[in-house]
Amino acid sequence: MRYGWHGVLVGVAGWGLLPCAVQAQAAGAPVRPGMVDAQALSAADTGWMLTATALVLLMTLPGVALFYAGMVRRKNVLNTMASVVAIAALVSVLWFAAGYSLAFTPDTAWLGGFARMGFDGLQFDLAAGRVAVSHVAPHIPESVYAMFQLTFAIITAALVVGAFVERIRFAPMLVFIGLWSLLVYAPIAHWVWEPGGWLARMGALDFAGGAVVHVNAGAAGLACAWYLGPRRGYGREAFEPYNLGFTMAGAALLWVGWFGFNAGSALAADGRAGLAMAVTHIAAAAGALAWMLGEAVLRGKPSLLGLCSGLVAGLVAITPAAGFVTPRAALAIGAVAGLACYWGATALKRLLGADDSLDVFGVHGVGGIVGSLLTGVFASRTVGGVEGNVLTQALSVGAVLAFSLAASLVLLWMVDFALGLRVDEEGEAAGLDLSQHRERVGG
Amino acid sequence: MNDSDRLAIAAHLHVLLRRRTGRVTDTEWMAANADYAQEIIRFARQRAQQDDAPELAEWAAKLERATAEALAEASARKPLLERREAPAPRYVGGIR
Repeated sequence: MRYGWHGVLVGVAGWGLLPCAVQAQAAGAPVRPGMVDAQALSAADTGWMLTATALVLLMTLPGVALFYAGMVRRKNVLNTMASVVAIAALVSVLWFAAGYSLAFTPDTAWLGGFARMGFDGLQFDLAAGRVAVSHVAPHIPESVYAMFQLTFAIITAALVVGAFVERIRFAPMLVFIGLWSLLVYAPIAHWVWEPGGWLARMGALDFAGGAVVHVNAGAAGLACAWYLGPRRGYGREAFEPYNLGFTMAGAALLWVGWFGFNAGSALAADGRAGLAMAVTHIAAAAGALAWMLGEAVLRGKPSLLGLCSGLVAGLVAITPAAGFVTPRAALAIGAVAGLACYWGATALKRLLGADDSLDVFGVHGVGGIVGSLLTGVFASRTVGGVEGNVLTQALSVGAVLAFSLAASLVLLWMVDFALGLRVDEEGEAAGLDLSQHRERVGG
Repeated sequence: MNDSDRLAIAAHLHVLLRRRTGRVTDTEWMAANADYAQEIIRFARQRAQQDDAPELAEWAAKLERATAEALAEASARKPLLERREAPAPRYVGGIR
């Protein structure tokens, strides 16, 4: 859930889960996108949201691209980067065409309407001094809100790449991701973030995407890993990462960009955004230290990859909680997530038996689940105006996990049936850089 | 134990084996290669029992000790990365 407007509109929906005071505020709030006087907008909020949008895009380009490319073998580095760049472009066009409308316009509790397809109605009339706004963020231009949300759609799809690297054909992968973005991501974003969505109305708290982004991407990643099967030689040969320095640079960009992700999800340049930034940083630090300690105790040596993974785990877990918890709670959430994701990327991974190559489920899935549940534990009425409910959070996470897993498997089957997903043996042995792009890393 | 001591033990065993069993061995290789030394030690012990030749068993034991010491010294001289005890497989079945 984002910003006070969500809470306001949840109250309007009449579920009675929010306090009367909040419901009373809802009286004059818009319930659908529309045009307002440009003077009614907040310049400060708009400026911050423009900045936050750029920060979140930076997380993917080049953050996720570097983070993942550093971990694959030398022969698959360019394919991994190309996948992230192509996904960013593809999801952008699809978001413009339909994704934004399906996710963020009011219609049913399951899916939005078609009113904003092709960004229809995202107008700015200079002469009349009128501008379109979303009912979710009526104090900033809707163009900014749609772009901010676009960067979330991009990174969610890009995160899935980590599960299927080194063995999937490029073009069918894009077809799968395109369908997934429209048929899995957009509906889930609607359920949780559009005030009429069924999980939003139920009172599920997801400030910046613990369930929508991370549990969703983790579940889809697990589905991909299961469906595609392991890479040839998996479990028998050592898959040396190309350059963990790339991974560190990517992780650092993720850490910085996450300020836009979480503090931007306040949708305003205000005290809540400031607190969201603080808790984000504290959780990242706690996650890095917890993973490092876990690794040092169990393996005797802390690794750079462990530190990078731990900080991401902390960031993932604080994502649903950022606008609802205090800095002390953030420390606990980050530390628990660091250890839980270390378990997720090692012991749980062995248990699941899937070649989730770069641990999308182990880090994002597990981190998202931990963060979402702990949001139910630690959410403070003083910070976010609402209190958490662990059962509601568990239901929300379970619904997202189940839908994403099942729908992803269906889409994978469809694309595989139509186009074939897996590269042939020769192409996999030669590496996807050569077999899919006729390029290779120099030097 | 230095190389020449180990070579002297190997030479002694070489002479004994030649004399008692007729087997010809490579003295220098016995002092240098642990696998070859192990095989000669096994053979010397077997013949010591068969032929009731306790001196063969005695020199086989000396060569065994010398070989074990040489292996320990070589291990101590290895670079840090190669000296790990039972190194855990890295990047097999997972990157983390």
